[in-house]
Formats: sequence, structure tokens, C-alpha cells
Amino acid sequence: MRPTRILTVDDSASMRALLLHALTTQGFEVEQAEDGQQAFEWLATNEVDVVITDINMPRLDGFGLIEQLRETARHADRPILVLTTESSDEKKRRARDAGATGWIVKPFDAEKLATAVRRVAH
Amino acid sequence: MSMLSASVASAGLERVTVMQGEAHASADPKVELSTVLGSCVATCLYDPVARIGGMNHFLLAEPPSTRSRETFDEHYGLFLMELLVNKMLGLGAFKSRLKARIYGGANLNPAMSPIGTANGAFAHKFLQNEGIPVAFEDLGGRAARRIHFMPASGMVRCRTAPIESAPMDKPLVRPQSASGDVELF
Repeated sequence: MRPTRILTVDDSASMRALLLHALTTQGFEVEQAEDGQQAFEWLATNEVDVVITDINMPRLDGFGLIEQLRETARHADRPILVLTTESSDEKKRRARDAGATGWIVKPFDAEKLATAVRRVAH
Repeated sequence: MSMLSASVASAGLERVTVMQGEAHASADPKVELSTVLGSCVATCLYDPVARIGGMNHFLLAEPPSTRSRETFDEHYGLFLMELLVNKMLGLGAFKSRLKARIYGGANLNPAMSPIGTANGAFAHKFLQNEGIPVAFEDLGGRAARRIHFMPASGMVRCRTAPIESAPMDKPLVRPQSASGDVELF
């Protein structure tokens, strides 16, 4: 069975390094993008099982990325987990309305994140 | 009222104390961010164009018991750095314009793990990874520091302080609020 493939989207190089280590250690295959725009362009020609995205990013933020992916037939049902420092209910509601699959507030727990990925990856 | 707080009040300043585990940002010229550091590190970030500044105050958490005492859990420090950057971006700062000043990281107790050194090294590594230049640093040593930062002007005053004035900088386990819970919609 092939490993679950994840795209992480975060403008922080430190957070990308932490996610890469945490997820590959759990047996996942990991691709990374630096912002929503780069992720959207990459997903136009590539497939992943799960997207994990930050909210606050330059060019295209996490809300915009989710909205654009949901308008694309190929990504309409793609599991998208939001991983963010934002803790407000308003931001969480906005992510859910945009079509996010789940909401995780940083700092994340690697075990819980891996469990969530396995659960939404089908 | 102490002489210092009296002078702050007469200047119409609003002093915000930044406690361990917190990050604050402001563009208000009447706001002064202040903190007292032992082995903790405070990062002061400033966008000179938007005239927005912010400060965090962190102490790396102890690693799980399965790991060496000489290594520290950087995850919570990373969270506080990102929280500070995001608060500033939320006020209109640009990450590409940020400059950093870092303070603290003293090793007050030679009998303990050198957590002050680890805190300073972590701050350096984070800022380097994120491409944020360090304009000034005052790290290490064995004295406590009192920091006053005017976020709208970027001005910082750092004075050494008696060791007794520093908070008890015991390495902490990751706080319960940092549980990383997952909510599926």
C-alpha cells in the first residue's frame, strides 16, 4: 500500500521543517508549499491525499486557498485541515464555511495530527 | 506608586507587561511593552515602515522524559515566534521588513541545564530560517534583564536587574492549552 501523501502549506520555513519531520516520521509522504498561491498552482498538476494549510500567508492565504480548491472539481472533496495559531471562533467558522475539513490550533501534537490525517484520508 | 510608574503615568504611556508564554504587538505610540528576563528570551520585532512592533517572551519547554536533558522542546518557542509574527502582520506589518532585537537567555543557575543558552540559540535559528535580520542582541551572562520596548518607534531600553527580580525561570512542560486538539467539521 502506498503511503498517504500530504501537501503542507505554510510561509514559515521553521514550521515547514517541523511539519516535514513530524509527518515523515509518522510514515507519510510530504510535499510542501510556501503560500496558498504556490500550493494552488502545484495542485493544478499534482495529486495529494490531504492538504494541511496555515491561514496567515502572503499572496493567497489559507481561506483563499480553500475557496479556490473547492471551486475546482478535482479538489471539491479533498480533505483540507487548517493548522493555525488563530484561535478565534470567527476564523474557525470562516474556515468551515470556506470548506475546510478540520481545524487544528498550533502548537500541534504530532500524534494527534497524524491520527487526524489518517482519519480524513479515507 | 513607584518613581518609574509615576513617570510612565505622567507621560501618558500604557505599559503592557509581556509574561512568559505571551506575545503582544502594537502600533500605538502610547504603548510600552515591558518584561523582566532571566533565562527566558524576549524577541522584539519591528517594521520601520509601518511603525509596528511586537515582543514575545518564551522559555523552551522541557523535552519528554525519553529525551536527553540537554535538548529542549522547540515546538512551543516556535509557536510563540509565529504568534508574534502573525500579530504584527495582522496590524499591517510586512515580514520582509521585520528586524529583530533579542534579549535574555542568561544562565542564572549553573546547576541547571543551560536553558538560557538554548533559548538564545533557538531565537537565532528561527530568525535565520525566516530571513529576519538580527539588528541587535544582548544574550547570555548571569544577570537578569529588564526590557522596555516602544513598539511604534522601535526603541528598546535594556537594563540589568537583580537576579531576584527575574521570574522563577523553571523549565516548564508544555502548557495544557498547547494540546494540539483536532476538531473535524
